[in-house]
This record gives sequence, C-alpha cells and structure tokens, in this order.
Amino acid sequence: MTGTWTLIRLILRRDRVLLPVWIVISALLPAGVASATAALYTDQAARDAFTAASMNNPAQLAMRGPVHEASLGGLTAWTLGSSGALIGGLVSILLVIRHTRAEEEAGRRELLASGVVGRHAPLAAALTVVLAANLLLGLLSVPGLVREGLPAGSSVLFGLSTASAGWAFAAVAALTAQLTAASGTARGVAVAAGGLLFAVRSLADAGGVPWLAWLSPFGWARLTRPYAGDRWWVLGVVVVSVAALTASAFALSTRRDVAGGLLAARRGPAAGTLRGGIGLAWRLHRGTIVGSGIGFCLLGVLLGMAARGLDSQVDTPQFRELAATIGGPGARVSEVFFTFVMYVLSQIVTAFALVSALRARSEEAAGRAELLLAAPVGRLRWALSHLVFAVAGPALPLAVLGAGAGLAYEGDALRVAGATLAYLPAVWTVVGFATLLFGVLPRQAAAASWSVLGLILLVDLLAEFRLVGGGVQDLSPFVHVPPALLGDASSTVAPLLGLTAVAGALVVAGLALLHRRDLAPST
Amino acid sequence: MSAAVRVEALVKSFGQARALDGLDLTVRTGEVHGFLGPNGSGKTTTTRVLLGQMRADSGRAELLGGDPWRDATELHRRLAYVPGDVTLWPSLTGGEVIDLLGRVRGGLDPRRRAELLERFELDPRKRCRAYSKGNRQKVALVAAFASDVELLILDEPTSGLDPLMEAVFNECVLREKRDGRTVLLSSHILSEVETLCDRVSIIRAGRTVESGSLADLRHFTRTSVTAQLAGPVPGLASLPGVHDLTVDGALLRCQVDGDALTAVLGELSRVGVRTLTTRPPTLEELFLRHYEGAAA
Repeated sequence: MTGTWTLIRLILRRDRVLLPVWIVISALLPAGVASATAALYTDQAARDAFTAASMNNPAQLAMRGPVHEASLGGLTAWTLGSSGALIGGLVSILLVIRHTRAEEEAGRRELLASGVVGRHAPLAAALTVVLAANLLLGLLSVPGLVREGLPAGSSVLFGLSTASAGWAFAAVAALTAQLTAASGTARGVAVAAGGLLFAVRSLADAGGVPWLAWLSPFGWARLTRPYAGDRWWVLGVVVVSVAALTASAFALSTRRDVAGGLLAARRGPAAGTLRGGIGLAWRLHRGTIVGSGIGFCLLGVLLGMAARGLDSQVDTPQFRELAATIGGPGARVSEVFFTFVMYVLSQIVTAFALVSALRARSEEAAGRAELLLAAPVGRLRWALSHLVFAVAGPALPLAVLGAGAGLAYEGDALRVAGATLAYLPAVWTVVGFATLLFGVLPRQAAAASWSVLGLILLVDLLAEFRLVGGGVQDLSPFVHVPPALLGDASSTVAPLLGLTAVAGALVVAGLALLHRRDLAPST
Repeated sequence: MSAAVRVEALVKSFGQARALDGLDLTVRTGEVHGFLGPNGSGKTTTTRVLLGQMRADSGRAELLGGDPWRDATELHRRLAYVPGDVTLWPSLTGGEVIDLLGRVRGGLDPRRRAELLERFELDPRKRCRAYSKGNRQKVALVAAFASDVELLILDEPTSGLDPLMEAVFNECVLREKRDGRTVLLSSHILSEVETLCDRVSIIRAGRTVESGSLADLRHFTRTSVTAQLAGPVPGLASLPGVHDLTVDGALLRCQVDGDALTAVLGELSRVGVRTLTTRPPTLEELFLRHYEGAAA
C-alpha cells in the first residue's frame, strides 16, 4: 500500500474540477427536489393522489419502485432514490476505471509502479477517493434537506443510501478493471452489470418478485426506507457486499501482471480485410453506434409501455387541461409526455453523435491520423470517413427509439419514429459546430464542443424554470424542432430544412478550414 | 542528378518558437540520406512539411518533383513513412494494420510481408494495445518495407528496437538501396547513419549546419593521433592545427586538423616513431564538434 497517499493526491489534482462539480450538484439535488415536491403537492390529499397514480403505473414502478410513504420525505426519496443511484453509480464506475485500468493501458501506471509504489496502491487510491466522494455528497445533502423541514436522522440515512449505490458500483468497477487489458472492456462490463442490476430491481418492483430487490444495489438504496421506517441495518448489507467485492478485486489484482488482464487477450486475425479509411472508420465507430442502437431500442419499448398506461391512469380533468395547454386541444397526456421525453433523449443521442464527430480529432491528437494521411488518403476523404458516422449514426438510435416506443404504445412505429427522427437536424447542428471547431481550433475542439452541448442543456433547464427569456432559448437548436406528435406534420418541414442548412454550412466551413490548416497532433 | 527531396530556406514558426529557420536539404534519387540532429532540432517538423501535413511559412519544398502540400495524395502513392512515435489502433491486430496501410498505399507484396514478419520476429495476431514501442515500430516498418514505393521516409525508426533488430533493420535499408529506392533516414544514432548513409545533413535549431558525404565532412575535421616516440618533440605544441595534446612519458596523444597532418607527421618522424595509430574522426566527434561549438 506504500505510496497510496501520493496517488490519492495525484487523483485529486487530475480531477480537481470534475470531483467538486459532481459532488456539489449531487449534494444540492435532493433539497431542490424536496422543495419542488413541496410546491407541487401542497396538501396530503394531493400527495395521496399522486402516490396512488404512481403505484399503479408499471413504468414508474419499473423506474423508481413503490412509494413507501406519501410524505414530503417519502416522495423526495422515491423521486431521487433511483436516479441518484444511477448517476452516482455511473460516475463511480467511470472514475474508478479512469484511475486504474485506463492508467495501465496508457502505460503511466508502469512509470509510477517503478517508483516506491506498492502493488495495491493504485486501486486503493482510486477506491479511497471515489468512496470518500460518495460519502461526502451523501452527507452534504443533509443540511439542505433539513432546511426543507425534513428530519435530520432520516436525511442522513437518505444521503448514505444514495452513497451506497456509488460504493457498490465503485467496487464492481474495481473488479471489472482486473479482467482484461482494455479499459473500454472494463467500462463496458461494469456499465452492463449496472444495467442488469437495474433490470433486476425493476423486475422486483414491477414484476412482483420483491425478494429480487435484495440482489441489486439499486434495491438496497430504497430498502433502507428513509423517511418511512428508517432501516439502518440495510446499510450493513451494503458495507459487507462492498467489502467482499473490494477484497476480491485486490485478490485478483495480485494474480495478474501490470497492464495484463486475468483473461488472456485473445489473438486476432493475422491478416486484415479493412479496405481503407472508411473500413477503418466503421471498425472504430461501430461499437458506439450499435451499442446506442440497442440501448435506445430497449428504452423506447419501455417508454412506449409507460405511455400506454398514462392515458387511463391520469385521466383527470387537470391533466387533460395540462395536455391541452401544451399540446393544443385534444392532445393526449401520453403524447405530451413522450414529446418531453424525446426532447431530453435527443440530447443524449447528440452526445453519442458528438463522440463520433470528434473521433477524427482524437485520431489526429493520438498521432494515428498521421500514419494514414502519409499514405495516399486525402485529408478530406479521411475527415468524411468519420463524419459520415456522426451524420448517419444518430439516425439509428433516434429511429429505433421511436419505432420501439411506437410499437409498444399503439403499434404505430412509423408515426413515432418520424417524430424522433425530426430531431436529426438539431443533432446535426451540434455535429456541424464540432466540425467547424475541428477545422479551426483543433486543440480546443473537444472541450469547446462538449461545453456547447452543456450550455444548450443549461439554457433549456433555465428556460424551463423561466429564468431566461425565449430569445436566449432560441439559441438551442432543439427548441426549433416542432413537436411532430402534437401538431400536424405539414408545419414541420420549414424549420427542419433551416436547421439542416445551418448544419450543412457549419460542416462545409469546418472541412474547408481543415483542408487549409496544419495537422496538430498532441505530441 | 535528380533529387527526390529538395528543400530550400524552409521557415516554420509555432507562435514565438521558430522550429525551422532557413533549413536546406537535398536528397538525391537512389541514395540513403542521413538526417541528423539532436531532439527538437526540427527533423520531425521538416518531415511533416514534406508529407503535406504542415505548411511552411516561407521557403521551397519539393518532393519527388511535386509540391508536398498541393499534390500530397498523388505523391503519397510513391512513398512510405514510418513516424518516430508510432501509435496504432488499440483494437486492431498488427497484421490488420500492416494490411490496412498496404492497401491504402496500393497493395503490398505478400511474400515480402511474410519474410519481414519472420525476420523482425513480429506476431501479427496480437492486438496493438499489447505491443511495446519497439513492436509498434516493427508494424510500421514491415508495412513500409513490404510496399512498392520509390521513397522511404523514416523518422528515428530504430529508437525502440533492440540491437539484433537494428541489424535486421540495417539489412532491410541496404536492400532498399540495392533496389534503387531512396531513403531519408532521420536519426540521432550515429553508428546507424555511419553504416547506412551515403550522405548526411546535420541540422541544429532548424538550420542546416553541414551537408555532404561522410568523406567530405571528415575532410574538415580532426584525426586522432596516438604514438610511442623515441624522444620528446618540444615543437609540436606550438604547431598550428594541433589540439588536445597530452604527453605521458613516451606516449603522445593529440587531435590534428586535416591540413596540419603533413607537418605533424614530419615532426614525429624526426624524433623517431615506435608505434603510430591514426583514426579518422567518427561521426560522433564530428557531431559533437558542431554542437559544442554552438552551445559555447
């Protein structure tokens, strides 16, 4: 364990922005949700009505589980229990892999390991930081919850329940980091395990097999029942499980070489069949595209099932009035709901598209583009071989999201897929912006593109709470996508053509600038 | 004589830093040309200009009779390049990368590919993430040597190879030369350049300080002389062109300028010589002289 403290300081230095941002946002969220819940459901009758509706909606049960108590605390814990665990779990996985397997893959661990650093120090340091960060974000959420009038004891338990999911997935990632030499595989296996454990919890709550919840960290986070009986001893189950997983990760790490994996790397083909730039690009992009396709298809089916229940469950005059206000006369609650969901999900699709759009830049930065461009591969052709996946790629997740939802909803796959695909030009606009940045400021392109997407999300969020005016919100391309499910289809063409034209102009400008500039590898 | 590479007064700045400061370089067709310089002297920048990946601020660069920037794609059909720091796609195997690079260059000789894999002892079925620096370099070298091109641009290609593999590399370069190909070999390993190169250019701080055949360059430099003498030679120290003179009893060592050699030998033979060793300057000494002079 020698050197663990030094490595902890290295991790804190490298993530000095990321860690505080994550901790502060996660710590502020519970109080925000509590305050919003208090404002929305002012009396016990409103809370009871909402609880009854949620308990009868299989989609809500699958996503969040049952409401344990229709109190302010009970509803807050129910709203955030699941998503808090999801965010905490995902960030914990990414951080642990980043500081263990990814370091080894990059060859930096080797450099440190040759110094006075114990064999277990890197894993111990990464786990210490991530476990402490989860604990901190859980405890920091307590003062805000108490200010909203919630009992302190239960609030501490709620904070620790959220932290427990982060701990569990940090331990899972510690284990998957030992398996193979590739950090991508470690990340993928850990995230897939997360998806499976979430499905297990969903089945427990929506499928009527309650004991299954004990097998999943997502289950533990709500089995503690904060504000509804406070079962502290469930945390004991968490601690024992995390300790067991961590111990096995350390045990496994002694059975392998530095930079090696427990599973021997499979040998690949001795001869290649890649035809050239486009063949190579497909190899590099296919994982992202196929993975997002499968994920969004499942998500679509789930949402379609959820929407099917909505119309009958919330068939109250208030909800019909709300739907009509947003969607026009006669709009159905389910369609209003799905229109909102699409808006958010299209931005996640944009994140995938951005990864593809920035792939050319990451190839350039790593110096791999140099090898290909020294061969008779034109710069434009090389850039287009990646760009084509950023442009055509997002069509797959959008189409299967709509098709899956449409099929599960009313069997009308085409209409809903048409509505999701309407977001494609907005996605392209962000892709176009990234391409422009790639052409003009290669070294800043990645950071600037992600900041643009982050700003768009922020503007949308602020506009939702009426904190910025419509003029600012108009800067977001997603605002200009007409809600195809609500209006008539004829009004949709003009804005979509406009967005496509903007995206096209950005791409052309980016490629023209790329054609003129020096290559900028980061070495 | 035709030139595969002709660079004149090339200037390239990155912000304040001047990477190339009027660099000249001529590589004749069919020769192996050593491109020597310490780290950061501008070798890689020159290579990138020649490959059309960067545009010079001023000066002229000509590659295989074309403009390296404007005609990049066409010219790249006729050359192969091995970067100094080879990074490969982690999920592809070495064999796949060799074939990919071969295909985009217009095909490679399968017999030569197999032969090179064997000689370099490279396992083509391993994923690139598992390769060491030397093995990544071998992947790029096999792809380059197996393709049918006129010009090879090799940027410090042996920095990760062990001595045995360096020998294999040397044989490969000599074979390319026999086949009439041109090789531009950037390096700071002098023995390698000494074995392989017909002519060398030495650069420092973005400028060419010396260029010519090894024989030409040696002419301007000092010869080491070691002799066992019958008696003292008091006049030697005052002779122009004699440097670093040490006398240890009968043993004398010194460095002598090329044009002072006749006078020194005359002086020595006057007192009587028992043994005499003269050694032409190594490239190392040549190199050091340029850089020490510059640092002072």
